[in-house]
Amino acid sequence: MWKYLIPLVVLASPVAAQDGPFSEGSEARSWNLAWEEPARFEATVVDMLCEVAGDCASECRTGRQLGLLRAADGVLTYPNKNNQGIFTGAAVDLAPFCGLEVEVDGLMIEDEYVGATNVYLVQMIREVGAEEWVTANGWTTAWAEEFPEAAAQEGRWYRNDPRVLALIEADGYLGTGETWEEAWEITR
Amino acid sequence: MRNAVAAALVCVAGPALADGEDITIRGEVIDTWCYFSGVMGGPDAVTGTAHHTCAIWCSAGGIPVGLLAEDGTVYMILALGGSDQSAGGAAQLELASHDITVSGQVFARDGLNYLVVADVVEDHGITNINHTDFGVVPGFAIPNPEG
Repeated sequence: MWKYLIPLVVLASPVAAQDGPFSEGSEARSWNLAWEEPARFEATVVDMLCEVAGDCASECRTGRQLGLLRAADGVLTYPNKNNQGIFTGAAVDLAPFCGLEVEVDGLMIEDEYVGATNVYLVQMIREVGAEEWVTANGWTTAWAEEFPEAAAQEGRWYRNDPRVLALIEADGYLGTGETWEEAWEITR
Repeated sequence: MRNAVAAALVCVAGPALADGEDITIRGEVIDTWCYFSGVMGGPDAVTGTAHHTCAIWCSAGGIPVGLLAEDGTVYMILALGGSDQSAGGAAQLELASHDITVSGQVFARDGLNYLVVADVVEDHGITNINHTDFGVVPGFAIPNPEG
């Protein structure tokens, strides 16, 4: 029952792209998320573990999450998502700017119901003073460089990622050991 | 529903822990983007077995994982079991959807809660069996055997 209602709920969500305090001048593309706000602002790209917990020994090392310390008010925003369609985060796109002052454009998520605040989807980045924007869509290129054999296969990256395939092989699509056929049947 | 109600209550009350305070806490390892953005449905549909494969995908893609505590509070996990690889690290992938008890330190910053996990005290496995209610989320998570 619920599986049929979910798409309807998504479609019936409130009108997206409400204006927020940093929406002026934003050219962010709407994702039609219920609580998205266009947000364009200047910030310093920071290492989250360093900024939050003071663990700075490996600051900005590959694989650590990166954040945006907003210039206007000192608020730490957390870019959970980049500009690619689905399943890709923003750390790879922010990494070249770690420690630098940048301008970003994207969508802020503010949803008290689930505890989301200062959660960000970054679409464009540029160093302060630069003319050209960089689109935050570098994740799949970085993945292909790390997993060239998987990238040579047909299909989306998440169907071919060896880490994902190994976990599904071990525990199934539901994580509880069902075979592919069993999982398909019981979720129809 | 249980999580949604608890989350609403926690949003009002908020955690009372001091920054860097030691904590032992139990919860589900979740994909925070789908949970926070609602892009694939309500919070109960983007957890548990229904969302297991998507949670692995998102974790592999470097989306931050979180711990959805029993009281509905979400803690963004910045380190897990000694690894600082919170963007696509192996530990996050292997624990996707698992119900775990962890010890570590908690922080609060600008409305979000953060967790630096020192140890996974116990892995209870996947206990949120919700695919019978929601199917798989998204619906294409399991490839169609008919092509």
